[in-house]
Amino acid sequence: MSALSQHVLDEIKELPARFPQPRSAVMPALDLAQEELGHLTPEAMTEVAAALNLDAGYVEGVATFYSLFHLQPVGKHHFYICTNLSCMLRGSEAVVRRFKELTGVKEPGEISADGMFSYHEVECLGACEYAPMLRLDHRYHYDLSPARIDSIVNDCRLPRPYQKIASPPRGEAAAAPTKPRAPRKKKTVDG
Amino acid sequence: MAELRGSSGDANGNVLTRHFGTADLHRIDVYESKGGYTALRKALLEMEPAAITNEVKTSGLRGRGGAGFATGVKWSFIKRDTPEPKYVVVNADESEPGTAKDRYILENCPHMVLEGIMIAAYAVGANQAWVYIRGEYDEPYRMLLEAIGEAREKGYLGPTPMGKDFPLDVRVYRGHGAYICGEETALLESLEGKRAQPRSRPPFPAVKGAWGRPTLLNNVETLATVPSIINMGGAEYAKLGTEKSPGTRLLTVSGNVKRPGVYEVELGATFRHVIMELAGGPPDGRKVKVFWPGGSSAPVLPASMLDTTTDMEALAAAKSMGGSGGVIVMDDSHCVVRAAHRLLQFYAHESCGKCTPCRIGGDWAVRMYERILANEGSQVELDNLRRVSDALQNGRCLCGLGDSAGWVIDSTFRHFYSEYEDHALRHECNVGKVAARA
Amino acid sequence: MRSGTSATSARWRRVPDVNLTIDGHKVTVPGGTLIVEAAKTVGIEIPVFCYHHKLDPVGACRLCLVDIAPGPPRPQTACTTPVAEGMVIKTQSAMAVQARAEILEFELVNHPLDCPVCDKGGECPLQDFTFRHGYPISRIDGPRLHFKKPIPLSPNIALDRERCVLCYRCTRYYDEIAWEQELTTDQRGVQSFITSQFDQPLQSIFSGNIIDLCPVGALTSRVWRFESRPWDMTHTASVCSKCSVGCSVTLWQRRGQLVRVTSHENDEIDEGWICDRGRFDYTDVNDPKRLRTPLVKGSRSTWSSALVELAAGIKGKGSKLGISLPQDLTNEEAFLFRRLLDGPLNGAKVKMHGRTALPAPAAGDGMRIKDIDDARVIVVVASDTEKDAPIVNLRIKKAVSKRGAKLIVVHPEGVDLDRHPGTVHVRHAAGGAAAEVRKLESHDLLKNPTGPVAILFGDGRGGEDAGELASACADLASRVGGKTMALYRGTNERGALAAGVAGWDSLDGVEALLSWGPPPTAGIPKSVRFLAAWDHLPRSEWDGAAVVLPATTFAEQQGSYTNVEGRVQFLRPPIPVQQPLRESWEVLQELASALGLELAYAGIAAIQREMALTTPDPTPAPQPVLIGPAHP
Repeated sequence: MSALSQHVLDEIKELPARFPQPRSAVMPALDLAQEELGHLTPEAMTEVAAALNLDAGYVEGVATFYSLFHLQPVGKHHFYICTNLSCMLRGSEAVVRRFKELTGVKEPGEISADGMFSYHEVECLGACEYAPMLRLDHRYHYDLSPARIDSIVNDCRLPRPYQKIASPPRGEAAAAPTKPRAPRKKKTVDG
Repeated sequence: MAELRGSSGDANGNVLTRHFGTADLHRIDVYESKGGYTALRKALLEMEPAAITNEVKTSGLRGRGGAGFATGVKWSFIKRDTPEPKYVVVNADESEPGTAKDRYILENCPHMVLEGIMIAAYAVGANQAWVYIRGEYDEPYRMLLEAIGEAREKGYLGPTPMGKDFPLDVRVYRGHGAYICGEETALLESLEGKRAQPRSRPPFPAVKGAWGRPTLLNNVETLATVPSIINMGGAEYAKLGTEKSPGTRLLTVSGNVKRPGVYEVELGATFRHVIMELAGGPPDGRKVKVFWPGGSSAPVLPASMLDTTTDMEALAAAKSMGGSGGVIVMDDSHCVVRAAHRLLQFYAHESCGKCTPCRIGGDWAVRMYERILANEGSQVELDNLRRVSDALQNGRCLCGLGDSAGWVIDSTFRHFYSEYEDHALRHECNVGKVAARA
Repeated sequence: MRSGTSATSARWRRVPDVNLTIDGHKVTVPGGTLIVEAAKTVGIEIPVFCYHHKLDPVGACRLCLVDIAPGPPRPQTACTTPVAEGMVIKTQSAMAVQARAEILEFELVNHPLDCPVCDKGGECPLQDFTFRHGYPISRIDGPRLHFKKPIPLSPNIALDRERCVLCYRCTRYYDEIAWEQELTTDQRGVQSFITSQFDQPLQSIFSGNIIDLCPVGALTSRVWRFESRPWDMTHTASVCSKCSVGCSVTLWQRRGQLVRVTSHENDEIDEGWICDRGRFDYTDVNDPKRLRTPLVKGSRSTWSSALVELAAGIKGKGSKLGISLPQDLTNEEAFLFRRLLDGPLNGAKVKMHGRTALPAPAAGDGMRIKDIDDARVIVVVASDTEKDAPIVNLRIKKAVSKRGAKLIVVHPEGVDLDRHPGTVHVRHAAGGAAAEVRKLESHDLLKNPTGPVAILFGDGRGGEDAGELASACADLASRVGGKTMALYRGTNERGALAAGVAGWDSLDGVEALLSWGPPPTAGIPKSVRFLAAWDHLPRSEWDGAAVVLPATTFAEQQGSYTNVEGRVQFLRPPIPVQQPLRESWEVLQELASALGLELAYAGIAAIQREMALTTPDPTPAPQPVLIGPAHP
């Protein structure tokens, strides 16, 4: 039983041809794997490596280098809370504290008991004029305060949470030069 | 999209942001109605590649990513008439703390960046450009993809852009969370699918860059400026700003100010103007204590140096630099030692681990700060910090990240050594309000 | 095509010399030389961790900082900076000395300083450099980073992450040289550590080289673990006996035991790499169960009665006698054995271990391993070189990834050379290799090769008609301007072929069997009535043997091997042959005498002299002896 579904593996196998050298496909391939599984398991990374004709060690080395690859499971809603200087000066510490109170999460990377929430304190996310801010489900949330965290967390808890924005379209980036724009793909997560 | 915070409109002599604020500026037809893509048409159909490069040289434009290298000179390093493939790689991995200008441009006017990319690609003879955008930039990524799609539909990207027989294509590669990718050779390694560890130079990217091919690397803002230069002429552009730092640039003002935002200023304006007027100054009842003039990597300047001007020469004279244009303002309710600690944590966390001083030194410095802030400090910690700072700078490290970490220690020592002494020797903080991570 | 810039002459192209000054010494070296190498020529040590002369320079450890004028007023790395005319380099300026001392201090911030229990102690660059270039007093205090230690990377290699200085030599070697990535770096920054993929044991046959590469005690041999101190051993440069490549090795001896095998750089052959068979497969030499006395019907005996017994059992048997030969039979043994086959043992069936189906090399100037470097196109046919000739496999990889050669593989199955994205793999049904080779002439890559073509072929492990394949490869070589190399597998297959003893006979049906070395691969035929063994280990197969003679090993015996490229290399045994063991040439001579053939060689040198006079060598005589320069 493979960790990744066949259509994802098929898509991964098409990636190397889009780059001057096949290794460039490693990160887009890991994206696809993480999108399907939520985080990267050794099995998934091994399958990605095999699909790209590399040793699993190479993929492991790349995946562990970059912060956006999750090697451990994360909550359904993973908060990337900026705590770098610009946000720190405007109260990101209180934001993190409130998030922890509300969700019961004690440590970065820990998942709340209901499986809904986890967070990481991250470095500058490049939206300093809106500090403090966070990134959640492919969206930025600005001008945070403990009260704003309340409403964001509550939104997540709604039976039908706010419209989760689909992850950006892919395939587009590497389309052939003259090919007309590919239609935006629906998210391909099964179920 | 969130409300615009920063420059827009044609007041104040804005060049880049003149049309920001226009509804749907990110759509190609709106952009064109504001004069977009005329520079590309002019470049492709009326100018020789060498003339374009010369125009950029004449403008005196200097890279807006951090190093401030002369853009036209960089373009001329690429040998245009060799048969091998060449690339333009756009550094959109904006991650310097306190910097949001590239996001500001990409969200408001992605076509301006595309136009600049295409002109640069034509000038250096590259048929393929790659935009390396940081993975957290979801919205800018979406907008850039849409813009590329529109440009392809219009035929601006494709086998014969504007009817010129010079195939052009732009593709986007997403980063995955590593500050080091802002360093150009680390970015190239990452683009090649590797762990982003900077390369030793030479060879420089202009000779051996992406996938071993000659590569021009430019920052988003730098390229976004190019259409303006082609439109108004390099000589005209050079009249803006100071003689050695011509033009305008986007400064991201953040931290303890009333109106944080991305402000376009003519180089040579004072930081007093930027911080006190454009950004509204510190909150009522507070005073500016210190500011970082060019992102967290630029050595800090105390409030007494607010009259320093924004051009690179003045900043160099003040022992700092223009960097990425991220102006972080800290008021007197915050502690410099804690701020420096937070930044050292950042540099230690983002060290790629390739070279010894940065890998070990950053972490060692964090431990010194932790001891000082836990009231376990002494003169030993201060001495060690100074030594680590020295051992991180001046060619010890493979790339600039280590130097930047050293500068944080060095410049805060230079201007605020007494605060360090308070913490380390007397175990007290002279700031009432404590603002650091728990 | 006589221009000096053609790729053919790349190796011989003269690079203009450059004059520079290092610490006051005038130095002249070819342009492009790195400063760190230029300094070696005048005996100046610039300490390095990440730099290794066989790996691409990366400038990671920053230990080689020196003062270069003209240049910016800060130290620069000697390992990445090439020399330039008129350069003035100071390794001892205050700035350079301080910079290096600071780097060494950083290296020791998290180092456990457990030298007393570290196998690297005594031959550790970190130790040596700290003494020679470090600060005399440590200013480091506070807690150190800790990792679990030691971690087995494989049954043969242990990793101690606390000792690691992250020079990345091991992972770079893996990726650059071996084209594998099962060893990798995890995490980033100060958290980085070396690991095997998902902590699985390393699989590569080339893994052991990382032990030699490691400049600290992070990667150590588990086979040698806690066996001895470096200063407590003597070492001898010798030749590996595990396959036909004949890599140079260093054999380390302590108290009559072979305790360690390391590489011994020889650019003609191995470039300092050896495979794990050569490195770790030696403990049988020290096996306490080693056979040391002759046995007759299971009981201890004397050499003379055992040899009389043996002679009686095999004499006059003609084709009813079978003889199994070891693959590491020396040329001298082969020569004596030929005399026996020509005389009293005439007609015996001979089967050599590890023998390929390849015919003896054709007359003419064959290809040398080093020639692969300069090839512009390399064709590998019917051989999984990783298994057949491991270090030749690394040489092919080097030519492709470092020197830009194109690679064509003709093989029915996937091989490890496919790891390069540029490899052209021509797959075919087993047995069809020769036909594919004949088609290659019109292949795009071979239509107009810009330089020499190297054609290496194996026997497809019996799956190909080797004679037909050899002639197809020879034809292709003559058409496209290339040279061929037959990839023999047996250690001295080529020497045995030259001596005419590399038998390929079936032993089925023989009544008497002399098994020299390990038992025949196909087992001992049921028809055997008289069984004699000459081996260094007792085995269950020898239980019913009439005669068992104790044999010496590569660590004790003298003699020479002819390697895959035809080079004759001499063993230099680190361990003396201790009574009652006897040199094999003596044993063979006494056996001959017992069989009625009088050979009167006074020593192995006399045998070698006669070999040189009488054995016609089909190829121009290669230079003998060939232990390369000591590791710099």
